[in-house]
Amino acid sequence: MAVKLPRIFRTTPFRLTLLFLALFASAASAFLAYIYVATAGETTRRTDREIQREMRSLVDVYNRAGLNAVNQSLIERAASEKPFLYLLLTKDGRRISGSIEESPVENFTGAPAKATFQVTDVDAEGRELKHPARGLQERLSGGEILFVGADAGEDEAYVNRIVRALQAAGLLVVLLGLAGGVLVSRNVSRTMMSLIEVVERVRNGEQGVRARVRGARDEFDELAQGVNDMLDRLERSMQGHKHAGDAIAHDLRSPLTRLRARLEAAYIDVEAGKGDPEEALAQAVSDTDGVLKTFGAVLSIARLQAAGEAPNPVLFDPAELAADMSELYEPVCEDKGIDFSAELTRELTVRGNKEFLAQALANILDNAVKYTPEGGAIMLRVRRRSSGEVEYSVTDTGAGVPDEDRQRVIQRFVRLENSRNEPGAGLGLSLVAAVAEAHGGRLELSEGPGKVGEMGPGLRVAFVLPRA
Amino acid sequence: MRILIVEDDLEAAEAMARGLTEAGHDCVRAADGEEGLAAARDAEFDVMVVDRMMPKMNGVQLVESLRREGDRTPVLFLSALGEVSDRVDGLQAGGDDYLVKPYAFPELIARIEALNRRRDTGSVQTLLKVGELEMDLIARTVHRQGKEIDLQPREFQLLEFMMRHAGQSVTRTMLLEKVWHYHFDPQTNVIDVHISRLRSKIDKGFDRPMLQTVRGAGYRLDA
Repeated sequence: MAVKLPRIFRTTPFRLTLLFLALFASAASAFLAYIYVATAGETTRRTDREIQREMRSLVDVYNRAGLNAVNQSLIERAASEKPFLYLLLTKDGRRISGSIEESPVENFTGAPAKATFQVTDVDAEGRELKHPARGLQERLSGGEILFVGADAGEDEAYVNRIVRALQAAGLLVVLLGLAGGVLVSRNVSRTMMSLIEVVERVRNGEQGVRARVRGARDEFDELAQGVNDMLDRLERSMQGHKHAGDAIAHDLRSPLTRLRARLEAAYIDVEAGKGDPEEALAQAVSDTDGVLKTFGAVLSIARLQAAGEAPNPVLFDPAELAADMSELYEPVCEDKGIDFSAELTRELTVRGNKEFLAQALANILDNAVKYTPEGGAIMLRVRRRSSGEVEYSVTDTGAGVPDEDRQRVIQRFVRLENSRNEPGAGLGLSLVAAVAEAHGGRLELSEGPGKVGEMGPGLRVAFVLPRA
Repeated sequence: MRILIVEDDLEAAEAMARGLTEAGHDCVRAADGEEGLAAARDAEFDVMVVDRMMPKMNGVQLVESLRREGDRTPVLFLSALGEVSDRVDGLQAGGDDYLVKPYAFPELIARIEALNRRRDTGSVQTLLKVGELEMDLIARTVHRQGKEIDLQPREFQLLEFMMRHAGQSVTRTMLLEKVWHYHFDPQTNVIDVHISRLRSKIDKGFDRPMLQTVRGAGYRLDA
């Protein structure tokens, strides 16, 4: 079974810290190794150079003044403070004189030979101390053998001190790195943990949970803000869907109940031999069509409200759409004896879903045609308001809607008393309002041109879209 | 006409097949996308009616596969998804028409029959002829019994559509879609008024009306 590390060691920042630490340690090691090579190598080379110089000076004495002079010089030099070790041997290797007993060079062939060896010293308290030493052995021109060595202990100790310092420094680097890593990880981790906690609580179905934005304006704040925005949107959308679901249930229950009641009555009548089954069926089919229409409208309203924006918006000239609608509705008006006119400002631009806007305009016109009596007038206008908004307006000379009812008719299924016997589900204007809202616009109802004889005061419906 | 119905709602498929058979068509049914694909590869059909949402392989995938294989059989998509983007997706996948559920049966038949006719007019026609009615698509003139009939541009388009689908029922929504290019549901009788204006021009003063009203469905132009 894997050992479970404390959480802090499993966090990404901690792992990253470890990675960087490893990289840094390698770089530091390389650096320290270079320092070591440079320093330690240099002291060895210096010792070797000094031994060489001493050897040359003794060979010089021998060549100038002979063996005895060298011997004499050796004795003097050994007695002096010079840090060298000497040994002079006969041709066959017997000791003549010197400060050491035997040569550390084994298998001497006659060619100059280097050696490393150890010298034993006794310190003030009588303890034996071994020092490393280096030496050089050469054959003199008369055949005698001369060895010159030097105690390398001082240098070695210096190098050792450096190495120890470097080791300590390395350890310090690692410890500081680890501590830093833990610190950074804990900091980052705490921020992440709060985010994770938010996500977890949301996953468990909690609502209204939000991540804390610390105000540092770093990427964590950005992430927290992003998460919050996302949650806001999701919750809005969920509420929209819930609201839409409730509304659909509400909107469809009444027409379905009505349909059922009618079918039941027809059934009873037919059973009693009173009604005509064919007529009852035809009535049921036409009622069902009504329910389907209502269903379509309800679904469109619900989707628009849930989405909060119009799907697939495009830029287009609002006058073109209005011209199409005038062309579509003008004959109906003429048939009904209503004077239809259109006043379209060209070359404006709106952004929206053409299908929904067409449906909205058609609904407004349908209403106008429905409620304007013969001899009345309907006017469709497209214009730009001084605010830059684009307004579609339909003004009719029908009975109009009393002031106090204007907001109400936009609500679903509200049909005013005097329109009970007109066909229609009463969803027309609420769909229009939903379309306007989804486009960032609004629906405004106001009084029409006023009373003219029997007619009026009329209604003016303005569908206002924001500037594109 | 041989019609392949690919629909996973067995009851709906059954009802559709019964209705289409009564209308004189041969129906073959497939209960999911894979079965539908196999059936379509197996035999020739005049029209396919494909439900968009099905298990295993959805309608769009089915039609995309067939189109890749070079099968050009006209397809009518059926869907509970009625948004503009859904319709556009369906048509882009290679569907020829799109009908939103729930639909009225006359609407379904009218659209299926409209699809079949389209296959016959492979070559570009410049002259349409239905009985004694003649339409010159280049000069944009219409004659009945040699007498010129003066039509507004929209009336001309309306008549052209009716002539291309002569003998078939066309519904009001089909006309709004195919002639005006709008997909919505007018509450008032806007289309009827346009038709009655057209009727007064092509039938008035002639011994026999050509533009018929089909109860519960829409209109039909008879030769």
